[in-house]
Amino acid sequence: MLSPDRLALPDYEYLAQRHVLTYMEDAVCQLLENKEDISQYGVARFFTEYFNSVCQGTHILFREFSFIQATPHNRASFLRAFWKCFRTVGKNGDLLTMREYHCLLQLLCPDFPLELTQKAARIVLMDDAMDCLMSFSDFLLAFQIQFYYSEFLESVAAIYQDLLAGKNPNTVIVPTSSSGQHRQRPPLGEASVLEGVEASLFSQCLENLCDRHKYSCPPPALVKEVLSNVQRLTFYGFLVALSKHHGINQALGALPDKGDLMHDPAMDEELERLLAQVPGLVNSAPANPEAGCLPFRTPPRVGSPWRPLHHARKVDAESDGSTEETDESET
Amino acid sequence: MRSISQRAYKFNWENRGFISGDHIHLASSSMPSFPILQRSSEEKILYSDRLTLERQKLTVCPIIDGEEHLRLLNFQHNFITRIQNISNLQRLIFLDLYDNQIEEISGLSTLRSLRVLLLGKNRIKQISNLENLKSLDVLDLHGNQITKIENVSHLCDLRVLNLARNLLSHVDNLNGLDSLTELNLRHNQITFVRDVDNLPCLQRLFLSFNNISTFESVCCLADSSSLSDITFDGNPIAQESWYKHTILQNMMQLRQLDMKRVTEEERRMASVVAKKEEEKKRESHKQSLLKEKKRLTINNVARKWDLQQHRIPNIAPNQDRKVSDSSQDPSQLHGSTVSAFPEETGSLDSGLTNDLQGLSVTDTHLVEVDGDTLSLYGSGALESLDRNWSVQTAGMVTTVSFTFIEFDEIVQVLPKLKIKFPNSLHLKFKETNLVMLQQFNALAQLRRVDQLTIDPQGNPVVNFTLWKYYVLFRLSHFSMQKINGTEVTQNDMIMAERLFGILAHVASSELPQYRMISILGDARKKQFRYLLETKGKKPGLVNEENNDSKRLVGENTNRAMLNYTTRDFYNERLEEIKEKKKFCKMYMEDLVKEATEINMKNEALQKLWPQMFIELVRDAVIEIRNKNSYMKLCLQQITDQN
Repeated sequence: MLSPDRLALPDYEYLAQRHVLTYMEDAVCQLLENKEDISQYGVARFFTEYFNSVCQGTHILFREFSFIQATPHNRASFLRAFWKCFRTVGKNGDLLTMREYHCLLQLLCPDFPLELTQKAARIVLMDDAMDCLMSFSDFLLAFQIQFYYSEFLESVAAIYQDLLAGKNPNTVIVPTSSSGQHRQRPPLGEASVLEGVEASLFSQCLENLCDRHKYSCPPPALVKEVLSNVQRLTFYGFLVALSKHHGINQALGALPDKGDLMHDPAMDEELERLLAQVPGLVNSAPANPEAGCLPFRTPPRVGSPWRPLHHARKVDAESDGSTEETDESET
Repeated sequence: MRSISQRAYKFNWENRGFISGDHIHLASSSMPSFPILQRSSEEKILYSDRLTLERQKLTVCPIIDGEEHLRLLNFQHNFITRIQNISNLQRLIFLDLYDNQIEEISGLSTLRSLRVLLLGKNRIKQISNLENLKSLDVLDLHGNQITKIENVSHLCDLRVLNLARNLLSHVDNLNGLDSLTELNLRHNQITFVRDVDNLPCLQRLFLSFNNISTFESVCCLADSSSLSDITFDGNPIAQESWYKHTILQNMMQLRQLDMKRVTEEERRMASVVAKKEEEKKRESHKQSLLKEKKRLTINNVARKWDLQQHRIPNIAPNQDRKVSDSSQDPSQLHGSTVSAFPEETGSLDSGLTNDLQGLSVTDTHLVEVDGDTLSLYGSGALESLDRNWSVQTAGMVTTVSFTFIEFDEIVQVLPKLKIKFPNSLHLKFKETNLVMLQQFNALAQLRRVDQLTIDPQGNPVVNFTLWKYYVLFRLSHFSMQKINGTEVTQNDMIMAERLFGILAHVASSELPQYRMISILGDARKKQFRYLLETKGKKPGLVNEENNDSKRLVGENTNRAMLNYTTRDFYNERLEEIKEKKKFCKMYMEDLVKEATEINMKNEALQKLWPQMFIELVRDAVIEIRNKNSYMKLCLQQITDQN
């Protein structure tokens, strides 16, 4: 905090970099909107709560999209909130369509635009059939990249188009049918028209871009790493690689690693507590160890989730009684 | 002649004491096939006008000589195949050829005085060659193979016609028989009867054992004022439940039906039953008219809805259209042509069609209460919730069905629904544009919902995998029993909680206090606003408010955060906030400006201060360098002040 860099910037720029003004404005706006309620318990407390929630990342819940998009911190908080709330959907193994994910997003932000979700879906599906089902983790990671770096990605798309259109003579697409002419092998060994652009050229352009947009692009080193593994790549191939890159995920800091995406012990405990409160579960039989494919611990009080409780006893009674009945009828 | 019934005109020769055959001598003649008949002169004198040749094993008619005065001739029970050799007997009045093998009526053209002709039990296929028998009184053709009534129109003196046991399939062509009193048509295959009203004297008509099944096929009988005796037994019509009273009601002139006298009681009953049927018919006619009107209205609403949803290209509607197109498939609509009447209603009878042509369907909505179901079609129907519903009607309604109405509009009237129809437990939505899970949040404000039916048609939300679980989660305080007809199991509830429980937890525990209050406050404010607007606040109502708010706070606060504001309201609110945002921005800018100015000044001060400090010190030191002159200066300053 006491670094000399901080004092090197002129005032407005400093404030802008940290988005202090955004939060201050929003705080005052919230204050104005709810003055009757807030006046009851004091303005100081309000500001405390407000900035606390900003730190914790809960300030974006149920807010309008313009606010959520305003700062990188907001975006990251939103991603984290989305992960937290709907991780259970992913854990359940459900594959959903793009529209349904959009619906879930809208539960947290009522006016979230459809285009962003569509773009995220395109990354997962590689621009293929848009009605395909997607897994939670795939979607979430792609959505992260798309949402957090939206502006960056737009510029990248523009660059890509330029390169494809052949602004740079090196990227003329050469069919590999004539053996003497080919300089690079296509990435998948297909003997068809080369897709995408040359990675090194692309990388150079992206570096320039990153220098210009210092604040909302992925760490350039990591981008270079992604691009160094392949010779050629398509736009969506690049995005998919970005989304699946551990380093970038960590740099963003919103979501846990891909492997841990389904783990959240704190929330799982909370969930168990909530499940215990579902009416009718309290007086049921102890859990079957083999029932339930989900890894969370079942406390002894909660009944087996897969046995229909109101049928269980009846069936037993009938099976017990029937043998007696047949015995009697035979005599 | 006295009145003749079927049997009476069978002239029984035995009773009269005539002996058959003994006095007759059949000699062979010069012509090989025809025997010649001769009678003794005593016989001729005794029985000059009658001759019987019954059971004589005759295969042909013999030549009868010298008997020109003969008036009655009997050929019963022989094997005669052709009527011949009797043309000279021009005084013949009675000719009996019952039970022979005659295939064709012929050889009678000279018998102009003939009054009774008995040709029963022969093989006659056609009624013909009766042209000259204008005096015919009785014609018996039963037991033959006749298929058609023809060539009898000139028999204006005919009183009895027997065509029983023939092959008739229908009855018509009866004009000209102006004296016909009795017509026997038993044991045929008759399916319909016509022209009987052209018989001015017909009193008895026997139609037993035919194939008549409806009254319409014999409806001409109703117009015959002379008919007093009729039989229908052995016909399919006699098995019908409405047989007796339909006949009696349509033929008031009848005295005997199926050989039984018609009593006054029966006639009265018949008219009563007929009136009832008339009533029923009228009632059902009215019902189908109403139903049709309802169907057309619904189609109209559907069409407007489709237009609204931009499913059909917007064509300028034909203003004169009276009957809307019933087709719901958008691809079938062709511009503004007026469809005369949709094919679907082909089953309606013509009377109904005529009435409906005049219906002008301008209704844009439909409200219908059918026992326990309230159905609303079209957004205009929502206004009907403001009506003064009787407590009884409103109390009986347990199901409310919304069709062709935007869900966002329904949301706004839910408070009204809650109050006016307190027992509504089952909600049905079809073509209501449910697209987001969030919209279900709006249903939480109702008192209680047992069943929910979301029709896939027009509600894209049903395509989502998780929609049912979300509904169960958000509306868990209702303990719903059924969704879309399937029972809600414990598993479903658990799954719903598992999927969305954390969302509720986050929404309730991680939101800052002021946000919670503002969100809750909004919802409660809306409710209270509506309740204040309702007229006639009864004390009971106030209590309900308190209970509701208590319940809102007690149960499910964690889910109460999940609200739904319709898109329009949301945008409105955002618009309102814009002003405030602008103000905040300016305010902050001012603050920032102040702060930066102060900061700048501070920094500038920081920079200049060392220098300033040195100068201050230097000035002070220079001042004090000469102690004496400094003391004098200070004292001077003090005295100057005084």
